[in-house]
Amino acid sequence: MNDAEPDIILQTRNLKETYMQGKVPIHALQGVDMEVRRGEMVSIMGPSGSGKTTLMSIIGMLEIPTEGSVFIDGIEVTGVKAKEIPRLRREKIGFVFQHFNLLPALTTLGNVEIAMRFARVHKKERIKRAREVLTEMGLGDRLNHKPSELSGGEQQRVSIARALANRPAIILADEPTGEVDTKTRDLIIGILRRLSDGGQTVIIVTHDPWVAERTDRVIRLVDGKVENS
Amino acid sequence: MFDIILRNLSQRKIRTALTIFGIGLGIFAIIVMGSMSENFNKTFETSFALTADKIRVFGSSGIFGGSVTTSKAAEVRKVPGVYDAYGLLMAPLEEGGGMSFGGNQVIGLPPEKSHTVLGPVQVKEGRDLMRGDRYVTVIGSSIATQYDIGVGDRIEIQDKYFTVVGELEYTGSFFDASAAVPLDIAQDIYDMGNMVSMIFAIPEEGVDGDLLAKRIKLSVDGVDTLSPSELEEEAKQGLMIFSVITVSAAVLAAIIGGLSVMNTMLMSVMERTKEFGILKAMGAERRDILLMTVGEAAIMGLLGGLLGLACGWVAVSAMNLWLVEKGIVLFLVTPRLVAIAMLFAILLGTLSGIYPALRATGMSPMEALRYE
Repeated sequence: MNDAEPDIILQTRNLKETYMQGKVPIHALQGVDMEVRRGEMVSIMGPSGSGKTTLMSIIGMLEIPTEGSVFIDGIEVTGVKAKEIPRLRREKIGFVFQHFNLLPALTTLGNVEIAMRFARVHKKERIKRAREVLTEMGLGDRLNHKPSELSGGEQQRVSIARALANRPAIILADEPTGEVDTKTRDLIIGILRRLSDGGQTVIIVTHDPWVAERTDRVIRLVDGKVENS
Repeated sequence: MFDIILRNLSQRKIRTALTIFGIGLGIFAIIVMGSMSENFNKTFETSFALTADKIRVFGSSGIFGGSVTTSKAAEVRKVPGVYDAYGLLMAPLEEGGGMSFGGNQVIGLPPEKSHTVLGPVQVKEGRDLMRGDRYVTVIGSSIATQYDIGVGDRIEIQDKYFTVVGELEYTGSFFDASAAVPLDIAQDIYDMGNMVSMIFAIPEEGVDGDLLAKRIKLSVDGVDTLSPSELEEEAKQGLMIFSVITVSAAVLAAIIGGLSVMNTMLMSVMERTKEFGILKAMGAERRDILLMTVGEAAIMGLLGGLLGLACGWVAVSAMNLWLVEKGIVLFLVTPRLVAIAMLFAILLGTLSGIYPALRATGMSPMEALRYE
């Protein structure tokens, strides 16, 4: 447990990530310290190569940092055993990807329901919850459609529904509007805004200033460091 | 998880079908070769059970075939502990036919001992040989089927015609492929003088067969013996070598099928790299990915096993049906063989899926998500 304020849901301390590109070390993150409050909607911005995606994958427990700590909901997730990571990922993080990353063989309902299987949620409960969350996303009439039968906006809404399925502490969205038109972009950001207003913490990695303007706060990354503004 | 596994398999129908076919081919080979081996085992066991009480006495000039004279039977009979002894002449029924396992043979035996020699086998129709019989024969069920003859018909042996006076019931032993004729006639038509292939010595009740065999060997000059336990041991060794050779060839075929499962699964894992990344991002655990991947391989093994079993069963049944006209039963599918073949198929599928599964679980989720 950390000593952060109770309403701080995410905290990183001196986060560093170095990887080798051939024989050249690349310092993707060079000591990132940041905090996000519960229910806050935050955007992470920065130029290409600034370390946005690396930071997101470390917060999402998809990568282990070279140095530093990440606290989510009071737990130092960078200090837990490897076998604990999938459970923490299910409980704490819901991912929304730029390319949606839906499973093409599954229906809309199946794509949302599968996320709960790994949390060992009972089948009846899985189906019920998946229906609810998809209906909330306005996809109640698209439950049995395959991703290939959906528009980009619909696919991204399925992706958000999937991220919400396990009721995670944080929604991590990586360029969620990067593949959709402006109308759909408004819709997606509107949904994320509504979720945040309802108490859900949302972190969006984006290039789009329009998206960033609609978040509560912008964290700017430059050369692997948080730029103080 | 089972529904996901099935869905994944059905996504790549042709590849899955070809892999299942590969395994099926291997299991087909196991069923065919194995059922042949099982049949030989069963024939030996039944044959052995029907003559288990008898000691074989041969001429010491050779093993398993050194002929002895008929008069030696009288010497053997005098050995303490011997209840009875008589000579038998075994020869191939068909000209040019060998004394191979499963081949038709003539058994020349003293007609008055017919009931003792053929005793454990019931005469289905007609009678046993009797003292005074000449050119008559009691035939096994396979010979009756193969030659399409019965009691009252005639059969040609060594250019002589023999009237069938009895037909034995089916036993699954070498008796099925035997035609019993009077010993003196057999010696005459095969030009054997007073020689016999072996002497059957029957111990008195309560006498140990192994000890008596040794006693006969010591008491009678120029003979060698094979006690029931020695015979069983020797025959089992021979059968084991046969089984190892036949089944090894089939197992090799099945392993090649297993390699095709591994190849399919490796390709599938590579193609689904991104999918595994997505699943891991959703919180899938190592065991979930393992179960999914190994489960697919195991199901392909199971389906391949069922396919091979069904095709193998149909093939051996058809071959048996065809061979029965020739009086031969060559294949026997036993529950033990079915269990071994199915277990092997599932195990092969499962083991072939482990390496691809470990590759899938070992992927970094981030790298998997970046994979295109």
